[in-house]
Formats: sequence, structure tokens, C-alpha cells
Amino acid sequence: MRRASAFIEDKRSRGVWLGGALVALVVLTALVGPVVVTADPNRQDLLHVLAAPSREALLGTDHLGRSVLARLVHAARLSLSLGAMAVATAALPGIGLGLATAFAGGWTDRLLTSLADAILAVPGLILVLLIAALSPGAFWPLFLGLSLTQWVEWFRMTRAASRSALASPAVEAARLLGFSPWHILRRHVFPDLLPLFGTLGAFGLGSAVLALGALGFIGFGLRPPTPEWGLMMVEMLPYWNEAPLALLMPPVCLLTLILGLQILARR
Amino acid sequence: MTPRDLFCTIAMLLGATTALAQEPLRVVTPFEIASLEPSRGGFNFTRMEVAETLVGADDEGRAVPGLSTAWTLSDDRLTWRFTLRARAKFHDDTPVTAEIVAQCLERARSQPGPLKDAPLTEIRAVAPDVVEIATSTPFMPLPAFLAESSSQILAPSSYDETGAVRRIIGSGPYRITSLEPPLRFEVERFEGWTGGAKPAIERAIYQAVGRKETRALMAESGQADLAFTLDPAGTDRLRRAAGVAVTTKSIPRVITLKLNAHLPAFADVRVRRAVSLALDREGIASAILRSPEAAATQFFPPTMVGWHVPGLAPLRHDPAEARRLLAEAGWAPDAQGQLVKDGKPLHATLRSYAVRPELPVVAAAIQAAERDIGIDLDIAMMNSSDIPAGHRDGTLEMGLIARNFSLVPDPIGTMLADFGPHGGDWGAMGWASPQLTETLQALQETDAAQTRAALRGRVSEILQTELPVIPVAWYELRVAASKRLDGVSIDPFELSYRISRMRWAD
Amino acid sequence: MGRLAAVLGQRLVQAVTVAVVVSLLSFALVQLLPGDQALLIAQRRYGDDRVTTAAAEAVRAELGLDRPLALQLAEWIGQTVSGDLGRSLLSGAPVWEEIRDQLGATLTLAGAALGLALLLGPVFGGLAGLRPGGLADRTGMAAAAAFRAVPSFVLGLVLMVGCTVLFGWLPVGDSSDGLSLLLPALTLGLGLAATSARIARDGVVATLRSPFFAFARLKGLSRTAAILRHVPRNAAVPLIAYLAVSFAFLIEGVVVVEQIFAWPGIGHALTHAIEGRDVPMIQATALTLSLFLVLLNALTDLALLLVDPRRRG
Repeated sequence: MRRASAFIEDKRSRGVWLGGALVALVVLTALVGPVVVTADPNRQDLLHVLAAPSREALLGTDHLGRSVLARLVHAARLSLSLGAMAVATAALPGIGLGLATAFAGGWTDRLLTSLADAILAVPGLILVLLIAALSPGAFWPLFLGLSLTQWVEWFRMTRAASRSALASPAVEAARLLGFSPWHILRRHVFPDLLPLFGTLGAFGLGSAVLALGALGFIGFGLRPPTPEWGLMMVEMLPYWNEAPLALLMPPVCLLTLILGLQILARR
Repeated sequence: MTPRDLFCTIAMLLGATTALAQEPLRVVTPFEIASLEPSRGGFNFTRMEVAETLVGADDEGRAVPGLSTAWTLSDDRLTWRFTLRARAKFHDDTPVTAEIVAQCLERARSQPGPLKDAPLTEIRAVAPDVVEIATSTPFMPLPAFLAESSSQILAPSSYDETGAVRRIIGSGPYRITSLEPPLRFEVERFEGWTGGAKPAIERAIYQAVGRKETRALMAESGQADLAFTLDPAGTDRLRRAAGVAVTTKSIPRVITLKLNAHLPAFADVRVRRAVSLALDREGIASAILRSPEAAATQFFPPTMVGWHVPGLAPLRHDPAEARRLLAEAGWAPDAQGQLVKDGKPLHATLRSYAVRPELPVVAAAIQAAERDIGIDLDIAMMNSSDIPAGHRDGTLEMGLIARNFSLVPDPIGTMLADFGPHGGDWGAMGWASPQLTETLQALQETDAAQTRAALRGRVSEILQTELPVIPVAWYELRVAASKRLDGVSIDPFELSYRISRMRWAD
Repeated sequence: MGRLAAVLGQRLVQAVTVAVVVSLLSFALVQLLPGDQALLIAQRRYGDDRVTTAAAEAVRAELGLDRPLALQLAEWIGQTVSGDLGRSLLSGAPVWEEIRDQLGATLTLAGAALGLALLLGPVFGGLAGLRPGGLADRTGMAAAAAFRAVPSFVLGLVLMVGCTVLFGWLPVGDSSDGLSLLLPALTLGLGLAATSARIARDGVVATLRSPFFAFARLKGLSRTAAILRHVPRNAAVPLIAYLAVSFAFLIEGVVVVEQIFAWPGIGHALTHAIEGRDVPMIQATALTLSLFLVLLNALTDLALLLVDPRRRG
């Protein structure tokens, strides 16, 4: 109902269009960008480092003379998929366990809830740093670390929201009528949870990309010359004064994406 | 009222600052006080002139008086006698005695550090103010070894009951007033110092700041009076800032390519020369290090007088010659231009480490240059300890490193460690030259200036022809100093920040 | 009161469990880390120029790193239970002294950032919530998105450059001076303030739409009186819950900020300890931090019990 009314109400539909356009812009950049911008993101030209925007490099070049635009669009693809993967690895166990506990209740609920509490008390920083140090520069420890620290948030929110959905009279009626749990889930619980997943996912994606950058900054993340937004910012930081555009483009892309997702997710 | 005044007034109202006779001098460097142990973090305290060593070194690396004002060498050149400075005392007002000095040196010898490898046989106090050091063979660079910070002399009250250093009670012109490791300590002038004229700077603050961007901004805003180890991009901006003077000084540190000559390809001197000829050192120096003079034309930079040989034929950039040499050595390009010999491609993994920010960038430039002549390099950015680890287990193929030749202010110390008969963790690998070993041995034992100069030149020539390690660029130390400071000078051996020689301009 | 005791008892059990799990986990993970521990310690101790295999062998012998793992673990447990956290393998100083100083610095920083969020969040959130869709609301949303998109190392740099260029002055790296807290706290706190403003805004909107608010108006209370009476209390619950969780994240988010502003905190210490394989330091930091987080959770429970009568049951 709520979503339908969003399209009817003029003001809201404008928001949806704006949000959708912003998200589409970034996603298209990631999908089509590398095809349109043919320059090699790793090709160096030491004679033209930190050059101003020109016809060959529309956004100028970085400290190794590589095209900032080419790196930006290649990074879009990698950063978005890394962020999405990180969100997925955190969301799947979180949602699954959250639903399971909400359905089962009883000791399953108590056990998993106190486990989640206990994990929340383990300093995520230590976990992420130790796991990232296991295999420096590789992808999987980063996912594992981010997932281990973020699934609890998904778990708690899913559990709370689905419990309140399960307590509704409609669900009670469906149960009495003998509908399967799967049916109840699909018809009564999921529709209520979707906006929540949208919000969590939007923020999770942004945080994941920033977390990758932060890990790179302290020397625990991905390694150059991988074109990735977080790493690009880290690499360009020393040249903030000479190539501010190169440093600010990744946050601008990220801002576009997050703003778009946030507008879409607004109730 | 400027915003700065306003903020300061507020701060004063809050009681955060107090009025003082003379402003402290603020020194900012990237070096943390990781430990108080002389062999680990001790250099911070000798550089800030809190702790002293027996001897020091001038800009050419010649020994000058420190805590010891005079020394003699016996006729057989095996026994040294160091006389301590008269009335020298520690910051707790106890006298510096030969007994304490001998104990400190014995302690330094038992820890990893340059002194451990020196051929010393005995250190003892022969009079209240005379320390005698005996060596098994003539060892001319001994004073340089004693100038190194792990040989610093601390008062007995510096140690706790387990023998660990818990305070720094030194004998230098400055004494510590507050010690907050790992980032900060404050010093004030020690009125009981007898080593020279009373320093003009009364108080100083040492602050470690890891990020170079932050250091540069602190210098620009006047928050740091002396900021060390700035990067090229930051220095360019600082040069335009009012109130800051930027100084660069060439120091005895060289970016080199360490090659594993156990590998058949690199065992061939022609391949090593080709690797060197492929490098566009001037391009690297001007684009990355932003200083064309940093391009290494030979192993040692011109500031290392005697070791640098002005007449030596410089290392060149000549890809055509490199290809010719490789062809001569039996390497032929395949369809993709990749060099192959006996069915095996010319491939190596280049290890480097990111602690020194220019290394990854230089590594990337080298990779591109070598690809041009058909040598395929993979870059692996690792921890710096992976260089000695790879040397030991033989897995290192190529390493890009920044080697410091002034661990002790006489490069002979590092040369012995790097180019001995069995190579060295940070030097030659799978390569040795009897002539070089002999020359280094002779250098250790002779003290005739002429012979020494000739021998040093000889070392450079051998390295230039054989290229067991390929020099890429020479290092420059960039320092920003406030224009309110007079008498700023930079120690190329990084033994001291020399604040006792400075004074406020007004 | 029975509820109170139950909450505290539960947290106490959690503290013990977490302490055991975290100790074992960090020990196991450290053992799994790649690289030769002795070499890495030697590198951190003696620096890049002096790390050699000889120095590593000296370290190995000094610290007994070739002893069986079980023995090393048993020793550490025995020590810890008797209240001795050991000495740092890198600095040689007692671990407890280092943690005490560094945790203090980090808490000061995180506390300042939290204070900033508590100061700004409700004010801007309230303004936005009273007129949903208005100018304040939209600006707030854009700001929250912006602070989520700009990494703290870029934000920190922007603040430093702004300060230097505008005022010719930069309060950084002087921990004796309260002013040096300003920029790092802003860097950490602005994003938090923006997000907590959003949460406060949602709380306000929800309260304004609630039946009891409508009832209060029907009772004849003026809009202002009704707002003052109902909104703060109801909007506070999610805000407290959020800020409690974020305080935990703050302590962790400080790593980057500490590095930029040369702040001698725990994040900084931890990265060094992990790189240098300083096992006692890693384990003690993990233990202290996790116990601190449990304490924080307990305090949050108490705060929520005080604010929200429904929970007292």
C-alpha cells in the first residue's frame, strides 16, 4: 500500500525519480563506463603526472600520469561490486538467522540473541584488523571481517521487525488457516521488511566502500595499483593541493550513490 | 584581533596554556618513541640532545668530541682510550664516570645493533675518566660506531630493577621534563651541561606525526618550527608559504634494486647491466622525487666525499644497449616481446615495502621500464622485514629498497654488512668479490687519509662495473624551518636535530 | 529493582564469556598471521634499516618464541589471571601502562565526538522533524549523506587545510592543549551528529503522528506544550540506543583519525601491535576493549531503563 501511494502522491514520486536517477547514474557508470572510456587505468606516463584536465584525460592525470577518469569508472565497477558483496555477506546470515529466531522463538531465540550480543561486545576493530592481516591485499579477509562485524546489525533489525510483523492479527489468522510458514513469510513479513532492507543496504554499501578505504589508509586494505575508490583517495591524499579534483571525485560518486539510495529508501 | 588571538585568549581563559618566558621550539618528525631502549627508540633522545654518545660526527662524517673530548690509539692500533669531558654530569646531578660508560657500551654490545658486529674484545674503565676499548683487529671506524645512538650513555637511574630503561637520564644540553610515549616529549635546557656554550633555545617539544600531509600543514601554519621528512608535493606548497624556509639536504641513503644473483639470469653481469640501462633515472627523479639531481649516476651521492668518484662513467639510460646486452647473453624476444632463453621467460617478482611512500611509485615506474626491454616483473608490496626474510630463505628475486649508509656515520659499517663475502640481508645476494672484500678489509685497518680515499674510490668502481645491487636514486631530506629561527642546519647523518645551535631571531 | 539486578547479572555473565572468547580468539588469530614473528618484531623494534636475520634470531632467543604454542598460551593465561598483563614485546614497557594512557586518550576523543553529536543531533533533528520535507529536513538529509560519503581521512584533511588557510593556525599535535581535541573531535563527530540528527528527526516525526500526541492536543494542550511534554522523551529512546552502538563504533573509528591528527590512542597502538606481532599488547588491548564494551552496554541498559518506563516491567 505504502509503496503504491508513493507513486500516486506527486511530491513523493518526484523523490523516487530523483533518487532513481542518481543511483542509475552511478550504476551506469560502473556498467558502461569501462566500455566507453577506453584508456587503460593502469597505464603510466611519468612525463605527464598530475596534469590538468585535457582532451586525452578529461579529469586530468594522477601522480603516475594515469587517467583519473579511466580509473574512476573502473573503480566504480570494483567498488560497487565489493560493496554489494560485503553487504550480501553480512545481510544473508543476518536476515536468515533473524527470521529463524523470530519464527522459532524460545531457546533458539535466546541462544542466538545472546550470541549476537556477545559478538557485538567483541571489538570489531580487532577482528577486522586481525583478519585483514591474515592475507594482506586479498579480498576474502576483508569480506569476512566486514561481514563478521556487520551481520549482527542485520540480525537484530530483522528479528525486531519480523517479530512485530508476526504479531499482527493478519498473521495470526493465516496461521489458524493453516498456511505454511513460507507463505506467511512471503505474504506478510517480507513486504514489511523490504524498506528496512533498503535502508540498511544503502548505508551498508556506503560504509563498506569507506571501510575498504580506511583499511587501505592504515595499510591493511587492498594494494595498489587496483583501481578502487577508497584506494584512489588514499593514493591521491598527498597531492590534495595539486590535484584536488582527483581526490574529490571518488567521494562525489559515493555521495551521489548514497544520496540517491537514501531518497529512494525514505518512507 | 585575529582568529588566532581569539582562540589563544579563549584557551588562556580556559587555563589550557600558561604564560612563559620563552616559547618552546616545536620539532615535528615521523619518528615515534617506540621504546626507551637505546637500541630501539634511542635515536630520538640523541637527536634531541638529551642523551650523548662518546663521539659525534661532522657533516663529512669525521669524528668530533662528544661526551669524550679526546681519544688516543695505541701503536699496534688495537687499543683505544677515550677521555671523558671534565665535570660531565647526568641530569640527576650524578657524575658521568668511566665505569658507567663502560657498562652502557657493554649493554649496547649485547643488543642487536652495529656495535654487536664490531671486533671488540674488551671495554673497561682504566681511570675515573678514561675508558679503554680493545679490538681484536685494527678497527679504524670505531669512533663512528660509538657515535651511533644505541651507544648512548645513560645514568644508572634510568633503569628499573629488571634492567629495562624506564627514564632517560642523559648528560646532554637538554633534559626531559615530560615524557609521553609514543608521540611526544618535552625538554628544557640543562644548566649543568659542560660540553660547550649555553644553548640559546630554552625549551623544546618533540612531537611525532605520522602523516606527511599533517606535518606540512603544521609547518605552514606555524604549529611546527622544525618539520622533518616532508614529501616533494608538500614541499612545493611550503616553498610558497610565508614564514617558512624549506631546506633539502642530500643524505647517505640510496634507493637500490637488490638482485638475487643465485638466479641464473641475474648471475650474468650483462643481464644486471641491461636491467640498469633500462631505467630512466632522470625521469624517475624528476617526475616522482621531483629533484633531477636525485638520479643516481653511481652508487654513492656526491655528499659522501671520497666514496663518490667524480670521474666515474655515469650509469646511463639506454634501452637499445640493454637489448643488445640481453641478446648477447642469449635472451631473445618471443612474439609478445617477452624475453626467453631455453624456453624460460625472463621473469621476476619485485618485492618492496610501502613504509617509504615513494617506493611503490618507483617500483611501478621500474616495472614499466623493464617491460619495455622484455623483462616481466610482478610487484609485491610487503613488509620491510620480507626483504631479509627473502634473502635468508632464498625466495627473494628482486627487491626495491631504500638503504641507509649512515647507520653509523662512516658508511664502512653498512658496507661491511652488505657486501661481505656472504652478501648481506640488505646488500648483495649470491654475489661476492674477493677484491671488494679485500678493499673493505684494508679500509677498516688503515688510517692514512690518502690510502683511505683511494680504497673508497676502488669500492665505488667495483660496484659500478659489477652492479650486484643497482642504484636508482639518491635520497634527499626535506626540512621546513620557521623563519623565526636562526642558525638552522641539517645533519646529513641524522645524528642530531641541532637545536642547541639555533636561536630565536627576535 | 529485580529487573535491574537481572540486567546487571546478565551483563556480568557476558563479560566473563566475552573475556574468555576474545582472549582465545585473538591468540589463535595472531598465530595464524603470516610472516615470521621474530622478524616482524625486529622490524618494529629496530626499524627498517636495521632489521636483519641476526636481529630476528636475537629477538627469538630473548622472547622464547620457539617454545610450544600451548606453553606460551598457558603462561599468558596464568599471568593474566594473576593480574599481570606482561610487557610489550616492542617497547618493553608494561602493557597495562601503555593501554591505560592510550585508552584514556581514545576515550577523551570519542567522548568529545559523542558530546558534539548529542549537542547538534537533537537540535537539528528536532528542527527537521517539526517540518518534515522542509528546508531543514532536506539540508539535514543531504548533510547526513555527505558525511557518509566522505571518508574521515579526507574530511580531516579538509578541516586542517581550512583551518590553516582561513586562520593561519592549526591546533594539532599538542595533547596538553585542549584545543588540539577540536579538529579530531569534529572529524569524528560531524558524521555521527548528522546521523543522530536523522534519528532524532524520525523520532520526532513518529511522535507527532502518534495517537497519544493527538490525544494530548485533544485534551487541550497547545502544540508547543504537547511537543515539549511528549517529544523529547519519546525521541530520546532510539537516539540513546543508536549513540550507544555508535560509541562502540567510535572507539573503533578512531584509528584513521588518530593517525591523521597524531593522537596517541588505542587504535594507533593496535595497528602497530598487529604489524609488529606484539602478542601481549594485542591480547590485552582486545581484552580491555571488549570488557569496556560490555560495561558500555550495561550503562546503556541502565539509561534506557531510566528513560523508558515500559522497560521496567
